Amino acid sequence: MPVVEWLHALEQTTIGALVRESAFPYVEGTHVLALSLSVGTVAWFDLRLLGATMRLRPVSEVFQSVKGWMFTGFGLMFLTGALLFAAHAREAYDNPYFRAKVALLLLAGVNTLVFHLTIDRRRADWDDAPVPPAAARVAGLLSLVLWLSVIAAGRIFAYDL
Amino acid sequence: MVWDALQPVVTWLGDSAFGQWLGQSPARIAALFVVHLIGLTLLLGGTIVISLRLFGIGFRSGPGAQLAREVAPWRTAGLVLMLASGSLLFTGGAASYFEGQWFRRKMTLLLMALIFNLTWFRVVANAREGRFSPWQNRVTAGLALLLWFGVGVAGRAIAFF
Repeated sequence: MPVVEWLHALEQTTIGALVRESAFPYVEGTHVLALSLSVGTVAWFDLRLLGATMRLRPVSEVFQSVKGWMFTGFGLMFLTGALLFAAHAREAYDNPYFRAKVALLLLAGVNTLVFHLTIDRRRADWDDAPVPPAAARVAGLLSLVLWLSVIAAGRIFAYDL
Repeated sequence: MVWDALQPVVTWLGDSAFGQWLGQSPARIAALFVVHLIGLTLLLGGTIVISLRLFGIGFRSGPGAQLAREVAPWRTAGLVLMLASGSLLFTGGAASYFEGQWFRRKMTLLLMALIFNLTWFRVVANAREGRFSPWQNRVTAGLALLLWFGVGVAGRAIAFF
């Protein structure tokens, strides 16, 4: 079955119709405000990796403090994002800003994965460093730039819809 | 009513050449919304960081006042981005924003959140250890989150209701 038909079928599901016809403001509102938990907390971890804040605090403490809220935030983002997509699947699929957003999300995911598999493995060596090593700073900067770009693409996409 | 007293200023602002120029371009408005959301992640994310400490569930090493000092520059930057982009968004559509009930509710909540932030929240977040009881800290954090998220909820409602 071609993608367009599959997307159309998704829009016709009970949940797709419900979001489109009545729940949209609440689902969209949750998506926007959950930014505070997701990107809002990951940004502080990124700033710590850059040595731009909380320099006297171990990197691990920053991560442990925000991780539960961060994962909850990203969980909410993906759930509400999927619901919003189901409501307007074909329009979203055709929109260049939506495509850019998905590409940027994937890049942010790859950056996180690379960070965890490389420099983060040796975190014990630099946990207390006020300014972490260059590789960690690069990961932090990329994460910050990518997540803010995801926000930008998402907002412009919503405006363009 | 205080709102009626503001009407002439709003009319002047909306009719100004600058207001007209801003309102004309969807691209300019979309760009301002992006800045508004980037400010939101820093302001609400920073509020969450300070609140986790006040709740006693994160960032527990070192004095709380030190954390508040470290978070302040980025959190304030977020607030400045929100106020600046919000003022410009308002200027680009002054008359229609000003009519809306949810816009007025948002401004009322914003005023309350700003006053609370500059007075009680500031005092408690920057206090030496033990000056306030754990419960006073928790109530302060809860009120701050309630007020700032309230501003966000009212902001989203402007778009839909």
